[in-house]
Amino acid sequence: MKNKSLSLLTQSCRAAALAAGLAFTANAADTVKVGVLHSLSGTMAISETSLKDVLLFTFDEINKSGGIKVTGKNYMIDPVVVDPASNWPLFAEKAEQLLVKDKVAVTFGCWTSVSRKSVLPVYERYNGLLFYPVQYEGEELSKNIFYTAEAVNQQAIPAVDYMLAEGKKKFYLLGSDYVYPRTTNKILKQYLKLKGIPETDIVEIYTPFGHTDYQTIVAAIKQFAAGGSACVISTLNGDTNVPFFKEYANAGLTSENCPVVSFSISEDEFRGLPAKQLVGQLGCWTYFMSLKTPENAAFVKNFDAWLKDPQVAGVDYKVTGVDPKGRVTCSPMNLSRIGVYLWKQACEKADSFEPDKVAAALIGQKFKGPAGEVTMQANHHLVNNVYIGETLASGQFKIIKTFTGVAAEPFSEKFLK
Amino acid sequence: MTAITLVATTGRAADGTNDYRSLLSQAVILEDGPAQIELIKQLVGASDELVARGLAAWRVNELYVYTSADGAKIPFLLDAQQDSEGKGRGVLLTDGQFIKDNHGEPVIFLASGLTPADTNSKLRKAIKTTLDLFAIASPMPNMRRDAVIKLGQEQNPEYLPYFQSRLQIEPNAQVIAALSEAVALTQIVSPDDKIRTAAINSLARMQSINALDFLKQLEKKATLAPAKYSPQTARALRDAIVRIETHIWWGHFFGTAFRGLSLASVLLIAALGLAITFGLMGVINMAHGEIMAVGAYTTYLVQGVFGSGLLFSLFGHPVSVKGVGLSGGGLDCYFIVALAASFFSAALVGLALERGVIRFLYKRPLESLLATWGVSLVLQQLFRHTFGAANVSVVSPSWLSGSFVVSDILFAYNRIFVIGFAVFIVFGTYLLLTRTSLGLQIRAVMQNRAMASCVGVRTDRVNMMTFALGSGLAGMAGACMSQIANVGPSLGQSYIVDCFMIVVLGGVGNLVGTVSAACGVGVTNQILEPWLGAVLGKIIVLVGIILFLQWRPNGIFVTRSRGLDS
Repeated sequence: MKNKSLSLLTQSCRAAALAAGLAFTANAADTVKVGVLHSLSGTMAISETSLKDVLLFTFDEINKSGGIKVTGKNYMIDPVVVDPASNWPLFAEKAEQLLVKDKVAVTFGCWTSVSRKSVLPVYERYNGLLFYPVQYEGEELSKNIFYTAEAVNQQAIPAVDYMLAEGKKKFYLLGSDYVYPRTTNKILKQYLKLKGIPETDIVEIYTPFGHTDYQTIVAAIKQFAAGGSACVISTLNGDTNVPFFKEYANAGLTSENCPVVSFSISEDEFRGLPAKQLVGQLGCWTYFMSLKTPENAAFVKNFDAWLKDPQVAGVDYKVTGVDPKGRVTCSPMNLSRIGVYLWKQACEKADSFEPDKVAAALIGQKFKGPAGEVTMQANHHLVNNVYIGETLASGQFKIIKTFTGVAAEPFSEKFLK
Repeated sequence: MTAITLVATTGRAADGTNDYRSLLSQAVILEDGPAQIELIKQLVGASDELVARGLAAWRVNELYVYTSADGAKIPFLLDAQQDSEGKGRGVLLTDGQFIKDNHGEPVIFLASGLTPADTNSKLRKAIKTTLDLFAIASPMPNMRRDAVIKLGQEQNPEYLPYFQSRLQIEPNAQVIAALSEAVALTQIVSPDDKIRTAAINSLARMQSINALDFLKQLEKKATLAPAKYSPQTARALRDAIVRIETHIWWGHFFGTAFRGLSLASVLLIAALGLAITFGLMGVINMAHGEIMAVGAYTTYLVQGVFGSGLLFSLFGHPVSVKGVGLSGGGLDCYFIVALAASFFSAALVGLALERGVIRFLYKRPLESLLATWGVSLVLQQLFRHTFGAANVSVVSPSWLSGSFVVSDILFAYNRIFVIGFAVFIVFGTYLLLTRTSLGLQIRAVMQNRAMASCVGVRTDRVNMMTFALGSGLAGMAGACMSQIANVGPSLGQSYIVDCFMIVVLGGVGNLVGTVSAACGVGVTNQILEPWLGAVLGKIIVLVGIILFLQWRPNGIFVTRSRGLDS
């Protein structure tokens, strides 16, 4: 009953949208509406607000440098910020609102895979454009989504390669219990077997969200690492890392006797995570704040300056979070920003805001970002540099290994050969 | 680092001291990784305190490079005596003298303003090996033991003479065990069959868990190439593996018991406050978790005041609290103060909650459920506005970090503390309820309010005190949780379900029930977790509780009283 009325509603919405001719082009004041679809409340708010901040900063950056030149006019970006409140069905509703009511030309958003999966049919139905910036498990390709995010072969595989090169022979795969860790670990397991690691030397363990009791797991890791040359590959999410690393350090395990490489801990996470207990543990991303490039220095400096007076096109956006001073940049933030620039370049190339034309123009777009040059491939993923960093007590990473020009491949069967 | 400074062995004024120092200086200044590692390896055998200090500082990014007036690069580290801002005098690695300015006064450096000498994990590993070999002679038995275990696993025959010479003078039993293990572990790869078999047998006698992987590898090799291994070796291998695996099984058994007890204590501490407010008073307090969070945030505040101060916003106005600036032992004491402070702050919040909301709803339990749930949302948002949506960082004092090992079972200090604390507050609550006049009044009011009122007990005041007591206990629980879990606005939500589960399972209105329910759930959870994983384990426990409550709807222990029946 409920479903029926819902589908009726969506049908009428679709009809209305079609009747409006999907007018994605800008309105009188030469502005173009752009959607920001990140949770500003609920569990994911802590991570996603930073992405909203960096997106608004990037819009302001582009507006100040003359906006987007399409059909001979300079269009200013007019952000439409909505709050899906960490609620997966609400993501789809808000996405529909952005596409149908606000008629945005493009949306930047989503963090968790489940939120992306929730909005995917909406973007396909209304033929919208979505840029997705956070490392994910792959095995997905929609013509309406551009993934600036790290695919598995841009994060997990290089990290494991590094561990193998370091002489590690036993792998403990520990993750939070949801789609990203499970898929990543499934791929990693196959990959490790290809590399000659016997099944008995790979352990795969999951814990629920918000798990605080890591005694049993740490005791098991301690025993696992007793013979030496073991490492932990962690896809634990968010704040479960605190009790895990506390217990880990208490058990006398260190980065020397059993290193941990985490895929979900970036500079931004250290705002609520004591870095002291993680010193020497590894991270793997396509960007680190500590990268020494002129582009990165400018990015970090300008973002920090913008946070003190957060305005886009004259509208004040109060920055959430108590202390605007302790802010950092991290890989998802950098990838969000790169997405905006790639979209801008594609619009200018296509000389239009029509999603189909922009999508076609996006393929092959290059952008020299803070972590080096990226290229959008025909598979809607980036060619990007991959870095491995060691955690420092300051919550920054010291880069110890660089893989240049790694082409993202969303489908694991293509690189598991 | 303080431990490392003690490394220097007494006596033996080595002629080579200066050579070692210049070797280390060279290693620091070189840019070439492999050559650096080679130099670090040559430092083994140096018995110079400064070299050990320099190496240790290098490993933790506290070694810096000084360019003297004539352009020579000399590594230096900061004096162990630094002031509260981390400023200290620079000690040159070549002669142990302070770096002096033109007037001959020592130059004061700020650690955070200096760029440390480069390291990477390979270098640090090499440094650690060299330090480990230093550490074999360390005066600290723990350090000696860790170093020996690590070196033994490398199965490097070069280390054997170091082990054996140490074995003859080693006084500590634990280190002797580690040394014999290391010797045996190194000897099982010996080409001599007799030495090999003897080593395997001694590993079996020691029940060495560290050796299990190596023995299994050896057994694999032996089955692949039976010609190279005598049947005695093969049999000794099998026996050793079986023996060690049995030992692991027992370790696992007792380890699970300890971990179950510690989880039970966590649950008990969290639920005890609720056992009073819900169990004794019958108030369905959905804000119980948030009152725990009040305690946890109080701990954070106390830590800030003891340490370097903190910043938060009070209804949009930034408030900065200056800290006393203690460090080390002084800062470690903050937790004791925080425990008391969190009791009183949470009790005050509880008092306000009782006076402001709950006292009007004693006769309407369902409405008190909704009202307190509303209060919990208000409190959560208040935490967010005051301290930010992100978790705040509470650092455990040093006496709650680390662990000790008995017969390969790990006992973490914070877990032992939690168990002790649970025993303490349960006992305290029991004494309060049974041995004081307040306890007598509380029990009287809970059993029969009207009767108690008739004999002159001020029931209104007793209600207030009881609720404040329950809230205070919840606050202490929050302080305790800050040591093992996250402190954030949603701290309360993650415990509220567990708390109600424990109190209902134990039997409402019964402390003994709460204790036994916590123990039952904790231990069952830890038994199931290694088999079924954390997720399924939790589900099974929950299903078990539901089934149990179907069978005994009033929980393990049923308390009958007129007050509760009505």
